[in-house]
Amino acid sequence: MRTEHSTPQIQPAETSEYHVASFVAHVVPEMAEDMIADINSIEGAEIHAVSEQGKVVFTVEAASQSQIGNTIDQLKHHIGLLSLSPVYHQFLIE
Amino acid sequence: MTINRRAFIKANAVAAAATVAGVSVPASASNLITSSDVTKLKWDKAPCRFCGTGCSVNVGVMDGKVVATHGDIKSPVNRGLNCIKGYFLSKIMYGKDRLTTPLLRMKNGQFDKNGEFTPISWDEAFDIMAEKTKATLKEKGPEGIGMFGSGQWTVFEGYAASKLMKAGFRSNNIDPNARHCMASAVGGFMRTFGIDEPMGCYDDIEETDAMVLWGSNMAEMHPILWTRITDRRLSAPHVKVAVLSTFTHRSCDLADNAMIFTPQTDLAILNFIANYIIQTDRVNKDFVNKHTNFRLGVTDIGYGLRPEHPLEQKAKNNDKRAGGSTPINFEEYAKFVSTYTAEYVSELSGVSIAKLNALAELYADPKIKVCSFWTMGFNQHTRGVWANNLVYNIHLLTGKISTPGNSPFSLTGQPSACGTAREVGTFSHRLPADMVVNNDKHRELSEKLWKIPYGTIPPKPGYHAVLQNRKLKDGELNFYWVQCNNNMQAAANMNEEGFPGYRNPKNFIVVSDPYPTVTAQAADLILPTAMWVEKEGVYGNAERRTQAWYQMVEAPEGAKSDLWQLVEFSKRFKIEEVWPKELLDKNPSYKGKTMYEVLYKNGQVDRFSINQVPSDRLNDEARHFGFYIQKGLFEEYASFGRGKAHDLADYDRYHQERGLRWPVVDGKETLWRFKEGYDPYVAPGSDFQFYGKKDGRAIIFALPYEPAAESPDEEYDFWLSTGRVLEHWHSGSMTQRVPELYKAVPDAVVYMHPDDAKERGMRRGDLVKLVSRRGEVQTRVETRGRNKPPRGLVFMPWFDASRLVNKVTLDATDPLSKETDFKKCAVKVVKV
Repeated sequence: MRTEHSTPQIQPAETSEYHVASFVAHVVPEMAEDMIADINSIEGAEIHAVSEQGKVVFTVEAASQSQIGNTIDQLKHHIGLLSLSPVYHQFLIE
Repeated sequence: MTINRRAFIKANAVAAAATVAGVSVPASASNLITSSDVTKLKWDKAPCRFCGTGCSVNVGVMDGKVVATHGDIKSPVNRGLNCIKGYFLSKIMYGKDRLTTPLLRMKNGQFDKNGEFTPISWDEAFDIMAEKTKATLKEKGPEGIGMFGSGQWTVFEGYAASKLMKAGFRSNNIDPNARHCMASAVGGFMRTFGIDEPMGCYDDIEETDAMVLWGSNMAEMHPILWTRITDRRLSAPHVKVAVLSTFTHRSCDLADNAMIFTPQTDLAILNFIANYIIQTDRVNKDFVNKHTNFRLGVTDIGYGLRPEHPLEQKAKNNDKRAGGSTPINFEEYAKFVSTYTAEYVSELSGVSIAKLNALAELYADPKIKVCSFWTMGFNQHTRGVWANNLVYNIHLLTGKISTPGNSPFSLTGQPSACGTAREVGTFSHRLPADMVVNNDKHRELSEKLWKIPYGTIPPKPGYHAVLQNRKLKDGELNFYWVQCNNNMQAAANMNEEGFPGYRNPKNFIVVSDPYPTVTAQAADLILPTAMWVEKEGVYGNAERRTQAWYQMVEAPEGAKSDLWQLVEFSKRFKIEEVWPKELLDKNPSYKGKTMYEVLYKNGQVDRFSINQVPSDRLNDEARHFGFYIQKGLFEEYASFGRGKAHDLADYDRYHQERGLRWPVVDGKETLWRFKEGYDPYVAPGSDFQFYGKKDGRAIIFALPYEPAAESPDEEYDFWLSTGRVLEHWHSGSMTQRVPELYKAVPDAVVYMHPDDAKERGMRRGDLVKLVSRRGEVQTRVETRGRNKPPRGLVFMPWFDASRLVNKVTLDATDPLSKETDFKKCAVKVVKV
């Protein structure tokens, strides 16, 4: 397949950004410790609370959304992780 | 200062997540730092832009830009959670290649089909569109004009588009991408119940004892509903989860009974369950006698391919008879399904007898409340309508329907597949509120509500999605407008149909999109589009929930909403240019008016003044046209369904609520339809009433297992199933620039069983070609990861612009719903 086209206009890149996102991970309770270790090993990640039911509240800070995305891509393959839900996302242009 | 701002928003993020999880966090983390800089954030609610779940999110705006989102704690759907796709909502509008000017293919200052994309003004864009439309009308008539829309259109956009096409241009050639997604579900609802959309709602999840996934990987595709299912399964130990799929995936992790079946044999498994219910004497006879009829469906209906295809030559009933049926009684039905024994079906499907029996018992046991969930596994199926009919059979035989926890539930994939595509009726055969164009009374009522002469709407259904691509290729559909979707990438068999169709010199293709998608790049004219909270909108989710949002930010200069584009374009036509004289003579007062005045400034759509738009709100469209156009369109549309079991509330109320589930009667939403006590449309004393059918009875259909259109053979020895994976949110057209078509992207992979790979001398990561009778695509082998196909089947995601798997797929469709089967075709895999 070929498309004969010029590249549509690309706008200039933005300045540097600070992103923060918070998540709730629901883990099989017996495997929570392993998950916690995994999260703690990630740059920019911080755990704020863990419930007895296996819910882990944590944040990830990064310079771009794709960095946070990559972090999440790593984590979501974790064995024993039942669901991983982002809750809050905000970015600042600095 | 920066540190304070960072600490502040981080504290907000922590507080929101802790609330959702129901846990407390140390005071230091939740201690909010006041900063005038950051508290300028203005929050407002909107439904998420992505899937059909209909989560509500809070959107934070600062300095005219969306900078924050979080799950809406007040939403009954997502209760404060988000999914991976939802969470980057604040960035979807700010891709670096956002389009801001119309682009036309030009050479030497003129339109040229082989020219380079060149910026032009909106005026010039509408000039050439009007010129091409008028030329097509002259040469081919209304049938030469077509539009392809979306379940991502807002309700008013879909409604305005449908009206423009069906009432204005008098062409029924409008179809939504929901055709690829929901058409079989619609067909199933209409055939069994006579009225569209699920009877139950998400509340069923917390009420049920068993949940069965049929061809749905909810863990990845509907993560928020999956968290509700996970919560239910783990908090109530008696609850069981069963998962049926053609390969092992993430949802299987939670399953008590995971079943991997040979493609297409789901039909046989469904009939086996019906047989099991009958053989074990667990039919709910009272329910069946009072509330159902039995019918025998026509079989051997073909595969919706081009008529010259050998399979269509062979099929006996691939014509108008395909949807027919004749009445039978219970005994005849019981005899029909009696051949579907555990032994036969186990052999056919590859699922063990023990697993089949355990599954059937969930449905048969009168003490177990059961929900069935399905999406594309059933719908993208050459017997998709049948699959939907067959799952209703087993809920109807047991009376497990329309009550809390008993729910056959068809999930949706787009934010407004239900609200816009289905309820508004943007299909080539439909009109609002479940009406259809080939019904005289339905057309007449629509013409009356639209204040247009009798005979304006053509009675013949237009070209559906797949037929549109074929007609483009054949040069019969010459002016074509695509809005709010990426169909070049999404439609099957792009090599033989889609791409040659768009590039056919006879055709002029317009694509409206915020980004230069594959589809936009194949067009002749690209229109830059405003998206999501850059405009006011209404979406309708899978549980009949209608949700509204206000415009929160300005679109980038130059980008305009689909609604603005549709309505503004209508000004370019005098009604004499689109309607024949005989028609206009029936209503001479329209003479000399523009299509805009006849369709939109018609005394109805323009009856709400601009003063009704809250003064502190943006609303670019209302301020441009001079009246509250969204409210006008919504109220005119709502007049189709009120009093007809599709009642919507007054427009303004939706801005106050986290959505309401229709029918909304006397201000109250309806959670379970067809059941007395829950649904105000059920006649007192009838207990259940399936009022979509004249006699109030739903239909149990006798329909057989029939093989797939294409199965593996010696040369093409694999089944190919396509689908989505969660990680591909970041290659979707909204979140990333479209890569070059042949650029290698390592995470676009074909999932294969390790033994199949070994046998072919392939290793994980090897570059391979997937080859079918239609085309080939290069990718890499993945033998690990969460998608684990059985031997003989490979799985490849389609939502990746760099690996266009639809060059290989077959455009076989369900002859009843015209929906493509993306889940089954035969391929070989060879090393490069």
